[in-house]
Amino acid sequence: MAARERDGMGGQDVLRRAGDASVLILTSLAAGAKHGYALIQDIKGFSGLQLGPGTLYGALDRLERMGLIEALPAGDRRQPYRITAAGVVALRAHLDSIERVSSVGRLRLGLGGI
Amino acid sequence: MPASRSMRLVTSALRCYPQRWRSRYGDEATEIATLLIRDGTPAWSIAWSYLMGAARARLVTKPRRRLGATVGALLLAAGSLGVPLALFSSSAPANAASAAHAHAARPRPAVAHPRRTAPQHRGGRAGALWPT
Repeated sequence: MAARERDGMGGQDVLRRAGDASVLILTSLAAGAKHGYALIQDIKGFSGLQLGPGTLYGALDRLERMGLIEALPAGDRRQPYRITAAGVVALRAHLDSIERVSSVGRLRLGLGGI
Repeated sequence: MPASRSMRLVTSALRCYPQRWRSRYGDEATEIATLLIRDGTPAWSIAWSYLMGAARARLVTKPRRRLGATVGALLLAAGSLGVPLALFSSSAPANAASAAHAHAARPRPAVAHPRRTAPQHRGGRAGALWPT
């Protein structure tokens, strides 16, 4: 309870309705700040999905408005972004939620726990 | 496709975004399109992605306009289905019920009487159509 109050998110999975692109972007930014093109390349590397630029910027705009990422000062036209503390909390909550569902699914399929 | 033509296609798609979005992300969106085209991504695919993104941005950034559009679409759909607009007002169900009752209680003749209908048109009052 105290941890939930401290993080200010109430332990809610705010990414539940944010879309897969938002989760992929936060996961990529968890490894360090990146600009748009580097995000597309990194996400393609770890998930096999190539985000369209329209999808990418839609998600970046949403995440920035939610305060889960922030733009860093840009040296040129490539604007780097980094995950915020609230973004880390949100990503952790979402991954916990996915993990719970995954565990139940695996048990029900007779695959055992992870 | 020549590079200049590819970029024209992408730039046209980017113009569909709201002004706020273009001033915030326009430069880097153009830059990322250049890099993706250089990597071999078809320009039409990038332009299509931006077009879809622009449609979403326009729907999301104007919640009031979206609400207005939704209400307008519902009213239009209701109108095309023959639902009277009066039903949407707060007292509409009571009015509709009383009107239906009045019609049922005093059915009109199948053919209007010429002596009765002529003065009613001159009078112009809807309530004076059928004297009590």
